[in-house]
Amino acid sequence: MHPQCPTHEHLSRRAMIKGTLATASGGLVMNWGGLTSAAGPVEEVKKRKKHCILLWMNGGASQFETFDMKPGRSTGGLFRPISTNVAGTQVCELMPKMAQKMDRIAVIRSMRTSEIDHPGGIYLMHTGYRPSATVRFPEVGAIVAKYHGTEQSDLPNFIKVSTQGDAGAGFLGPTYQPFGIGHRGDLPQFSTSQIKSDVELRRHNLRSFVESEFTRERANDPARMHREAYESARRLQGAQQAFKIDAEWEKHRELYGDSAFGRRCMLARRLVESGVPFIEVGQSSYDSHADNFSWHKGLVPPMEHAWAGLLTDLEQRGLLDDTLVVWTGEIGRTPRINNRAGRDHYVRNWSTALAGCGVKGGLVYGESDADGFDVKRDPVTEGDFFATIYQALGVDPTIENMAGSRPVPLAPFGAKVVESLLG
Amino acid sequence: MKRYETILRVCATTAIFVGSFNAEATAAEGLRDVIDREVEAAWQREKITPSPPADDAEFLRRVYLDLAGAVPDYDETVAFLADKDPAKRAKLIDRLLDDPRYAQHQADVWDLLLFTRSPPGYDTDKREHFQTWLRKQFAENVPYDQWAGAILRADGNTVDDGPPMFYVQYKSKPEDATEAITQIFLGVQLQCARCHDHPYEPWKQVDFYGMAAFVSRLDVVTVGKAGQMNKYAIGERPSGDILFTGPAKDQQPGMKGEPIGPKFLLGDAVKEPPLPKDFKEVKFTPNQPPPAPPFSRKNELVTWVTGDSNPYFARAAANRVWAQYLGRGIVHPIDNMSPSNKPTHPELLDVLARELAGHDYDLKWYIRELVNSRTYQRSSRGGSGAELPQWFESARTRPLSAEELAESWRTVTGYAAAEKLSGKKPETSRFRPLEGGYVLRFFGKPYNGVGDFQGGLHEHLYLNNGPLGTVISSAKGSLQDALLTGSESSDAKVDRLYLSLLNRPATESEREKIAAYVAGGKPDERWREAIWAIITSSEFRFNH
Repeated sequence: MHPQCPTHEHLSRRAMIKGTLATASGGLVMNWGGLTSAAGPVEEVKKRKKHCILLWMNGGASQFETFDMKPGRSTGGLFRPISTNVAGTQVCELMPKMAQKMDRIAVIRSMRTSEIDHPGGIYLMHTGYRPSATVRFPEVGAIVAKYHGTEQSDLPNFIKVSTQGDAGAGFLGPTYQPFGIGHRGDLPQFSTSQIKSDVELRRHNLRSFVESEFTRERANDPARMHREAYESARRLQGAQQAFKIDAEWEKHRELYGDSAFGRRCMLARRLVESGVPFIEVGQSSYDSHADNFSWHKGLVPPMEHAWAGLLTDLEQRGLLDDTLVVWTGEIGRTPRINNRAGRDHYVRNWSTALAGCGVKGGLVYGESDADGFDVKRDPVTEGDFFATIYQALGVDPTIENMAGSRPVPLAPFGAKVVESLLG
Repeated sequence: MKRYETILRVCATTAIFVGSFNAEATAAEGLRDVIDREVEAAWQREKITPSPPADDAEFLRRVYLDLAGAVPDYDETVAFLADKDPAKRAKLIDRLLDDPRYAQHQADVWDLLLFTRSPPGYDTDKREHFQTWLRKQFAENVPYDQWAGAILRADGNTVDDGPPMFYVQYKSKPEDATEAITQIFLGVQLQCARCHDHPYEPWKQVDFYGMAAFVSRLDVVTVGKAGQMNKYAIGERPSGDILFTGPAKDQQPGMKGEPIGPKFLLGDAVKEPPLPKDFKEVKFTPNQPPPAPPFSRKNELVTWVTGDSNPYFARAAANRVWAQYLGRGIVHPIDNMSPSNKPTHPELLDVLARELAGHDYDLKWYIRELVNSRTYQRSSRGGSGAELPQWFESARTRPLSAEELAESWRTVTGYAAAEKLSGKKPETSRFRPLEGGYVLRFFGKPYNGVGDFQGGLHEHLYLNNGPLGTVISSAKGSLQDALLTGSESSDAKVDRLYLSLLNRPATESEREKIAAYVAGGKPDERWREAIWAIITSSEFRFNH
C-alpha cells in the first residue's frame, strides 16, 4: 500500500546493530592529534553573517515518538509523554534533554508536505520544491551559501556531514556545491596535500600561467568553474584544522552525548565558529516500516542529547542569536501502526522544529487532530517552512534567481512566512 | 503526408523573416551544406558574430575526442599538422569513423545514456555482454532503428545476446521503464504525467499509463548461468493490466482503479485479441526460456517506436546526436521535445530528422555530415563564453568523460607508448594505471543533470593530492623520458611538450615560461611538474 522505497532506505536488523555500534564507539574512532581550537573570536563571527545548521533525520523520524504525542489513542504508540520546561507542552519520554530546551525551540506540529517517498521527500525538504524535469532547484544549503557565504573563504560555504540529498547547488552552479564530510566528521579522500609547500607553490604558479593562457581568448564558463574549484581545493589545505576535533571532543563529549551524531554536531558548531554559513548534519535511519518503537528508542536518545548539547554550546558562545538550527527529515510517519509494529510514510501531518536566529522559543505552532491523522489548525507546507527559514536568516524568500530564462523565487511562489514563529 | 504539410507551413512562415530560404536539401548539396546555411541564416537574423573557423590543431583534438574518445598521440598530431592536403580534415574524419575506437566511444556514450553511472537494477553493473553487443552495432554500423528496436524487443538473454539487460534494470518497475523509453528514444519527458495531468503539455496521466501498459507485463527470468554470471531473459505474461486510480494526491487505501490498455503516446489504442476462455496465466520457470505470449504488447511498442508513424523517433535521434557533436540540442534539453519547448532552428531539425530516417538511420553517415560542417568546425575562441552556445556560433565546451580522461592521460604522457615498448602484457583495466573506482567517482558525473558542467572541489582534491602522478611515466618511450634524454633545444622540447599534451605547438610565451621553469631546478622534477600543470588544466579537461 505504501509506496516502494529503495532497499537502501530501509532498515535491516543488521544495519541497526551496526548503527548502534557506531553510536557507542563514535568517540573512539578518531585518530587525529590533540590540537587547540582554531576558532576565531566570537565577536568577529557575529559581525559577519548568519548561519544555519540543519539536523537531518534521514528516513523520516516519527512525530509520535518525538513532538506530537497522542497518549491513550490507538495511534499513540508505546511511549509516554513527559513535561517540559514550558508549561502545558509535552514531548516524548525519549527526549528528556530536549524537554528542558523547549523554551529555546519552536515546534511545528502541522507540517503538510507533498512528497511521500524518500527520493522525492529528500529533494523537497532540501529545496522547498518538488523534483522537476526541467529546473534543478538548489538546496537550502546552496542558497544560504550564496547569501551568507564568503567568497574566497578557505572553508567551503556549504558543508554536509553524513547526510542525504543530491540536489546540491542546482541551477546556482558549482560555486555553491556542497562539500561532503564522512559520518565521523572525517575529510573526504585526498583532502590533504603530500607535497612540500614550496614545491606546491611553484607548481601552482606554473599551473596558473597555463590556465591564463587558455582563458585569454576564451571567456569560458566551464574553465572559470574549473579554476575556481581548483582554487577552493587548494585553499582547503590551509583550513583543515577546523576538522580536527579530537582534543575538543574530549572536553565536550558529555555535553553532546557520546555518539557519532554528537561529534558531528560539535563539528557543526565549530564550523559555524570558523565562519561556515551552512552545515547539514545527518542521522540515519528512521525509516521504521517495522519495529518502529525499537528504532526510535535506539535513535532518538543520542540525537536529542546531541541537539540539546548543540543548543547549549551555541548559546554559551553567543552564537545562537545568529545561528538557525533546523530539525527535520523528509517525511513523517503514519498514525496507524502496521502489523509489523512499524509506521509507514506520512506527509498529511507531521512535525519539525526550529531554534535560534530570532525564532521564538517555547512555542508550539499548529495542531494535529486527536489521532494525528490530519492538521487541525494552521497547516505549514514545505514552501511555508522554507520561506520561514529564509526570513529568519534575513534573506527575503521572494528573491528570484534565474534558472536559464525562468525566474525562480527562493521559496515557491505563494509560500507564506510563518510570522508568529519569528520574534 | 501530414508531417510534410507541417514542414511546408513552417517554411512558409519563416520565409517572411529569413528571406527565401527553403530548408530542403537539394540533390546537389549535402546535409552539411544545409546545416551551415540554416545556422548562418540564424546568425544574420539574430545579429550574431560567430567565432573564427577552428585551426587545424583545434579541429584535430576536438574531432579525435568526439569520434574516437581520446586525444591523438604526438606522432599523429605532428603528421596531421604538417599535412598539406586541403582535404585532410575530411580524410581524417573518414579514418576515425572506421577506427575501432569509434565503436568503443559510441558504445560508451549510449551505454551511459541507457544505464547511467548508477543503474537502478541488480546485476546491471555486470553488463559487459551488453556493451560488447552495443560496440558491435556501431562497428558494423547497424541502422539505429534496428539496434534501438533490438534493445526494446529484448530477444535472447543477457549473456549470449546482450540486449535484454536494458529491461533488467527496470525489473518490476514498468513506470520507470516507460519514463526511460520515452525519454531516450522519443525525446519526451513523461515523468510528470506519472503522478498528475501535466498542466502545460498535451499528455495526461492516462497517456503515461497507456504507454506503461506496453511493458507492464514484462518480467525478468533467470534462464541459466555463465560462470558466476546469471543469464536473464525478458518474459512477457499474456495477461494483466495496470489499474489506474487517478492522481497520486487523491490516493486512498482500498482503491481498485480502472484497467488501462496499451495506447501509443498521443496515438491509437492497440486492439488486443481476446484471451481464450480456458486461459491460464503463465508462470515462468527458472532456467527455461520464457514462452512468447499469444499477443505481445511489447513487440507492438517496438514496431511503433521505431516505425515512421510516430512523430518523435527520428526527431529525437537527430536532435540527440546533433547535441552530442554541437553541444546544445536544437530542442534543448534534448529529452524534452514538448510543444512548449521550441526548437531554435525548426526547419533544420525537420530536415535532419527526415534525412536521418531517409538514410535508413545510418548514424555514421549522419555523424560524418555533422562533423564535416563548418558549424562543427568553428573555434571556441571568442564568443560569449557560454558552455553550449545557443546559436552554434562558437564550438561548445564539454568535459572529457572519465573514460576519455584516463585514455587521454595515458596517451599524452606516453604511458601507453612506454607500456607497448616494454613488451609486457598490460593490465586490462581501461583506467590503468589509475584505479577505475576513483576515476569514476571523481570524473564519472561531470554534469548537474541538465547538461551543465559542474566542476566540484572533489575532482581537484584528486588531481592535486591523489595518485595522478602514476600516469606521468618516466619509463623508456614516455614523454618525460624523451624530454630528459632528448638532445633537442629547450624550445623544441617545450614544443614537444605541448604537441604531446595539448596537440598544438607552444606559443612564444609558453616556450619562455616553461624553459625557464625547467632550468630553475632538477629537470626530472620540473618536467614532471610541468606535465602535471598541463594535464590538470582546463585546456586539457575540456573538449573545446
